Amino acid sequence: MTELKLEALTKTFPRSGKVVDAIDLQIRQSEFFTLLGPSGCGKSTTLRMIAGFEEPSSGRILFDGVDVTNDPPNRRDIGFVFQNYALFPHLSVFRNVAFGLQVRKIPAAETGERVSAALKEVQLNGLESARVDQLSGGQQQRVALARALVIRPRMLLLDEPLSNLDAKLREETRAALRALHNTTRVTTIYVTHDQAEAMAMSDRIAVLHKGRIHQLGTPEEIYERPATRFVADFIGRNNVVEATVGPASQGSAVLRFENGRELSIRPEQKAPGLELIEGASVSVCIRAESLRLTDSAGLFSGTVRDVEYSGSMRSCTVETDAGELEIEVPSLMARPASGQAVTLTVDSAAIHVVASV
Amino acid sequence: MSRRKPQWASAAVLVVLALVLWGYIVGPMVSTFLQSLGGNGGGLAEYLSFFDFKNGTQGESMLGSIVISFLSVITSGITGAFLAVLLRRWDFPFRRVCQVLVLVPIALPPLMGVQAFVLLYGIGGTFPQLLAELFHTKRAAFALDGFSGVLLVHTLTMYPYFYLTVAAALEQADDSLEEAAYSLGASRFQTWTRVLLPMLTPAMVAGALLTFMSSMSSYTAPLLFHVDKVMTQQIVIAKLNGQMGLASVVSVTLGIISIIFLVLLRRYEQRTRYATQSKGGARKRRRVSSPLWKAVIFVVASVSTIFLILPIVMIFILAFSVNGSWRTSALPSRYTTQNFAGLFQNVQFFDAIRNSLEMSAIAVVGAILVGLAAAYVITRKRFRGKTAIDIAMMLPWALPGTVVAINLITAFATPSVFAFGRVLVGTFAIVPLAYFVRFTPLVFRSTTASLSQLDESIEEAARSLGATWWYTFRIVVLPLLYRGIVGGALLVFVNGIGEFVASILLYTPQYRPLSIAINDELYYANYGSAAALGVIQVLLVLAVVIAMRHIEGDSITALGERGNAIPR
Repeated sequence: MTELKLEALTKTFPRSGKVVDAIDLQIRQSEFFTLLGPSGCGKSTTLRMIAGFEEPSSGRILFDGVDVTNDPPNRRDIGFVFQNYALFPHLSVFRNVAFGLQVRKIPAAETGERVSAALKEVQLNGLESARVDQLSGGQQQRVALARALVIRPRMLLLDEPLSNLDAKLREETRAALRALHNTTRVTTIYVTHDQAEAMAMSDRIAVLHKGRIHQLGTPEEIYERPATRFVADFIGRNNVVEATVGPASQGSAVLRFENGRELSIRPEQKAPGLELIEGASVSVCIRAESLRLTDSAGLFSGTVRDVEYSGSMRSCTVETDAGELEIEVPSLMARPASGQAVTLTVDSAAIHVVASV
Repeated sequence: MSRRKPQWASAAVLVVLALVLWGYIVGPMVSTFLQSLGGNGGGLAEYLSFFDFKNGTQGESMLGSIVISFLSVITSGITGAFLAVLLRRWDFPFRRVCQVLVLVPIALPPLMGVQAFVLLYGIGGTFPQLLAELFHTKRAAFALDGFSGVLLVHTLTMYPYFYLTVAAALEQADDSLEEAAYSLGASRFQTWTRVLLPMLTPAMVAGALLTFMSSMSSYTAPLLFHVDKVMTQQIVIAKLNGQMGLASVVSVTLGIISIIFLVLLRRYEQRTRYATQSKGGARKRRRVSSPLWKAVIFVVASVSTIFLILPIVMIFILAFSVNGSWRTSALPSRYTTQNFAGLFQNVQFFDAIRNSLEMSAIAVVGAILVGLAAAYVITRKRFRGKTAIDIAMMLPWALPGTVVAINLITAFATPSVFAFGRVLVGTFAIVPLAYFVRFTPLVFRSTTASLSQLDESIEEAARSLGATWWYTFRIVVLPLLYRGIVGGALLVFVNGIGEFVASILLYTPQYRPLSIAINDELYYANYGSAAALGVIQVLLVLAVVIAMRHIEGDSITALGERGNAIPR
């Protein structure tokens, strides 16, 4: 399986400027890697440069150490699944899947076998002669997947492949993709703006914003220890509260919130490279689920403004002395009501500090 | 997305395309402009004479063209919008039949079609004679000639511009909009003035611009109704008098006016039409319950429909009449099938048909090659000068046929690099060249439309699966563009078979196309033979309509929107 390396990869468009800004990245063999970010962050452009659809303005792309930057897409041996699937509307399901094999001049008998196997893998056997416009969205998506995998690509590139499916199908396909990856072990690069999708599927994630990588890490690292304010905002339901650094020593520090309350943190509870200097202002990330209602003295006090019930959880918006906070409490534990005065406490081990922007 | 290796290939295509556009479209326009400054009867002073509306012929003819065009817009607009509302909003017996028949005038061949109007309503025509017989008067109570005749032809051939666009807009405007207006308390009248009419405005403006352009370009109607104070006639008169300079001056002026309208139209087309977000759902037509109303609508609809298809009926009647058998009655007195037999027996007719088929076929091949290449680079490539190529491709569509002919004469009356060092005027080649220049925009347009609907990711998918650019183009792109290309090519063919305006200025007697043969027969008042040739044209158009029905969904509409958009 192939290892991918991007070196200072840059793409500049005449109108929109630098869309991808000197990205360095190494994707390991058989890794399920996700490029995550909001629309316009450069994730799709990066993927399209890896596929060869866009020419980099500068930088290099290496497959297993071999420079492919100037190779046309048909020389790269990649499988690409498009957001709109891009099935050939004038060809049957069979001929869509067989396309890549016919181009490679694989003998007809072998082509037939491999296409059948690929269709079986995505549970579409029996639909060989169907026209692609007769298929449902989910089926089309699986044809696209079979078509990309049947050529046994060095890498599988997926460009928001689930965004046109409905919620239930999306979760099923998510699991199916993961299972497929476990059997094929093909190096996979997945592009999405949906952080839940990225967390559920990926070995590692790169969070992109304005053409730069803000954080590279496992889903746990990105969720629990966001590197920048942007990542903290983008991933999960995060409260970001401003605070001032109090007395600090050897990385540990005391944080002073706007309501005067204080909390001390350990050295590992801050973004790498962030220096905690007394008097500096920082952003404190507090996950919605790490805030709790308490009867004793807490960190923040305020009034419940709105309660949203979602079965297992109640999400509340609380207007506090340190700003508006989102909290999530297990439904069985408490029944906060709109207008109720509450006190909130936080598990001090669950907070994380990033640089204030 | 073909880069790296095929970069030189697309560069080569671009260079060839630029050469073709310069050699046959832009270059000839420049040579006409130069001729207008230095040629016989030309000069800068002549340009100023356009602004003398009272005494100068040029000023008068420009005013004449503009007045006729303006009136044509009004009468065609009223007719087209009226028919659209009548046939699309109410249900009555034979509504579907009327809907089809009302578009038949699109199949009218340019020359013979106008002649049919003359024979129906002109001096000594069927209607004036009928009226004279009816009221026992020696002289007809009316006969159309001059401006009124031209206006009638324009109205009854150009109303489809309005009919089609308004009908499409009405079809799109779903009932929920009207229902929303009613539910918000609007009266029926308010619903019309505040919601429905404003929604029709873009369609009406587009129709008006097209009609104005077509009327300015109109050559045949003024010719047959003896109106010479219009610009197209002045061009031909000056050319026949040997004043190429003057002909060029008028051509350049008319060309500039046409280009202005092309620019206006494109600006307007880019503004989005009001697309409704509704998800289909059958439109309810107003069921007319009162029997009186029902009868009125039925009578109005059927009478106007019959009125519209009369010219075509006339061509068919004439085709079976004995040449010279029509003097003083409402219709020819003796009938025969000899005219059709004559098409195959008379070598001259047979040659004319064969010439037209050949000339059109040559134009079709050229139009496909150039139109497809241009459409592909315009929709798929990023390069400098793209807008220039786009405009140059569409230019001939806006230019009157007369102007295209003058351009080709000024460019190819002397040996030219683009004619491989030969003189083209007076040869067979100049006529198919004119067809190619005039009608390539039809292929370009339809192919561009197909290509822009074809998502680029389909090509990228093929490339990622290992296909080369050329393989992708053959196996994926071409089959998916097939409809657009063939649809456009058929239109080129049909228009070529009917072409008269440029042919009359360019043909050589040795190679007469069909329209010229018809023109010559009309000159000797051999209406039977002329009409038989006209029937061939009508049948060819109908064959294409049927072919297009197989290829595209709504064939008549497609033909109407693109085919008829060639000024006659």
